[in-house]
Amino acid sequence: MKTSPSHMPEQAQRRAPTPEPEERPEASDRAFEELRHIIVSPEQEQIVEIRSRIENPERRVEDVSSVVAEAIQLRRQQGDSAALSEALAPTVEETLRDSVRKHPHVLADALFPVMGPAIRKSITETLRSMLESFNEALEHSLSVRGVRWRIEALRTGKPFAEIVLMHSLLFRVEQVFLIHRETGLVLAHVTAGAVASQDPSLVAGMLSAIQQFVHDSFASPQQETLDSMTLGGLQVWIEEGPHAVIAAVIRGHAPADYRLALKQALEDIEEKFSATLEDFGGDAGPFRSAEARLEALLVTHYRERPSSARKPRMTLALGAVLLAMAIAWIFYSLDQRHRWSQFVRSLREHPGIVVTSESDGRWQVRGFRDPLASDPATELARYGLDRSKADLEFAPFYSLDDTIVTERAIDLLRPPSDVKLSERAGRLSASGLASSAWMAEFGQRAPLIAGVRSVDTTELRNSDIASLESIILTFPRGQSQPDSGQQNVVTRAARDLGAIRRYADLTNQQATILIVGHTDSSGIESTNQVLSNQRAAVVAAMLMRDGIPKAELLPRGVGTEQPLRTDQSDDAQHLNRSVTFHVNLSPISSAP
Amino acid sequence: MLQKKICMLGSFSVGKTSLVRRFVESIFDEKYHTTIGVKVDKKVVSVNRDEVTLVLWDIHGEDVFQKMRMTYLRGMSGYLIVVDPTRRQTFEDAVALQARVEEAMGAIPWILILNKCDLIAEWEIDPERIGASEGSRQDVIRTSAKTGEGVEQAFSRLAQAMLHSPC
Repeated sequence: MKTSPSHMPEQAQRRAPTPEPEERPEASDRAFEELRHIIVSPEQEQIVEIRSRIENPERRVEDVSSVVAEAIQLRRQQGDSAALSEALAPTVEETLRDSVRKHPHVLADALFPVMGPAIRKSITETLRSMLESFNEALEHSLSVRGVRWRIEALRTGKPFAEIVLMHSLLFRVEQVFLIHRETGLVLAHVTAGAVASQDPSLVAGMLSAIQQFVHDSFASPQQETLDSMTLGGLQVWIEEGPHAVIAAVIRGHAPADYRLALKQALEDIEEKFSATLEDFGGDAGPFRSAEARLEALLVTHYRERPSSARKPRMTLALGAVLLAMAIAWIFYSLDQRHRWSQFVRSLREHPGIVVTSESDGRWQVRGFRDPLASDPATELARYGLDRSKADLEFAPFYSLDDTIVTERAIDLLRPPSDVKLSERAGRLSASGLASSAWMAEFGQRAPLIAGVRSVDTTELRNSDIASLESIILTFPRGQSQPDSGQQNVVTRAARDLGAIRRYADLTNQQATILIVGHTDSSGIESTNQVLSNQRAAVVAAMLMRDGIPKAELLPRGVGTEQPLRTDQSDDAQHLNRSVTFHVNLSPISSAP
Repeated sequence: MLQKKICMLGSFSVGKTSLVRRFVESIFDEKYHTTIGVKVDKKVVSVNRDEVTLVLWDIHGEDVFQKMRMTYLRGMSGYLIVVDPTRRQTFEDAVALQARVEEAMGAIPWILILNKCDLIAEWEIDPERIGASEGSRQDVIRTSAKTGEGVEQAFSRLAQAMLHSPC
């Protein structure tokens, strides 16, 4: 209990001389009075104090005021808050009603930051489900619309991307103004990128003027205000707080939840700058820090995100295909180039072909080709290259390559199957068995063949000579006339001889035919010598009858000296009783 | 930079708009006057080497058909009342208007502008009388929309008065 120290003695002194019936002498009275004062004075003063409190309404108010809060708190702690609420409710309600009636803005202003979020929260859920179904609807119509946009792009001649942007730009917030509500002065202004804007202070002023105009002209009794204006594709959304106004200039159609963003921003600013806003004297400096909050409102939304997501996927796929194609192309061209170089190398190695120039870039070869060399086009096909792409140009020439010269010789001389021709360093060699006629022709024509400078016939045997020298005319024992039935052998010998003679003639040689008479080993040597001489002479005579000049025939008996077989069987002895031939060719000396 | 909202008031056709046309930055068409009754312009003035942006609400003059919207005056820090001295009635109206404004908005700086000072011979009111009735306390400035005389001075004077007043 508070007491004022200066108060107490004054009260005490005032109360002290209160009259009471006294018969005592004055001195003792005084002493008693003093004693009494000493004994009861403190209590008396307290009583006086307490009484004044009870009787004085002002003091009672003062006393109660100091404990009323604690009392209510205590009552609540005792768990009797229901009774307390019941007691207070009518008064509180009455107070609120009175406050709203007299100063509506005070309560509205106080509730403003609280009510916004609360209302929003309940609305958000409803909106979200609505938006989701809306988005889904949008998604479904995409493909058809995509086609329509392509047609539109074709029709208008505009790039497809521009058409998509035009259609898919849902909205873009181009400018945001923060305006002082009372004065219409601009507190802050932000613009999106390169958007052209007018003097913000003029726009803000006019915006407030229009708002007031609309409000005055059409407003209902509630404090409703103009919250949006539309001009073609442009909208101005206005959100009003107790002290500030946010105006957003939007191109396109912003969704309803963008207004919530505006409200939220306004609430934040109202809360943060409440003092500055209330005492605003025209200095917008402090609101510079609100610009970041306003910039967050400069949003751009596209109608469809999938297009941007789909596009890279398509581009990716296209890129992959192109890459694969490029790689395939690289491999293909590398392979082609490799094949080409192999082809050219093989051409260079090819006998009868000379490559003078080649370019793998243009698939071009220039050079010379012997008519007998293989065809480059065939070679090209062998390497799997396209003939139509290649440019092959070969001039004809005579190659001196051994293979080609041999081929040329074969081509020109047409040797019999038993004869082999080969050329090496200009020397044409023939080997095998050939008729006299062919041999004569060979001797005449071979040196004329391009690339042949000399001829070698050492390995070449005359088939006529061989035939003649293989003949064995057999004789009966002790007789100089051949065994009967050998006329055809003699005829063959005469024919062979004729061919040999013609050959010798053509080749300018002298043929001498050695006719060798043999006997078996029976009998005495001298007799056998005579018999063998006779046998050779008989055959020579037979040949002479067939027109062979005597000079070319050289009959000679060798007796048993050169037996055909040395064993003593009957067959061997029979063969040894015979005549054989040996041909000797010698060049005719130029001197006669 | 400091910004102040000021209003320009006066009867119909006293020459308010033509008075400031050459002196302010404007982006809006004058048709706003007749449609919504106000056009907002801007004027930057220097006061003691500080620049002040005056956002000027040029309010359509009152006439028998159109009452002035008092809500347009909300938040202003000062105002100009324009009078056409060649029409005595405009002065009477200005006095009444000023009283109404002061009643609604409180005592804030204002300037009385006597326009058409180039036509002083045709004036129906006695400039001396105005000076006497208003006393030396009130700023009275003579201007001419034709010559531009006094216009800058009027804005500067008002800006100075506003900066020295608590509003």
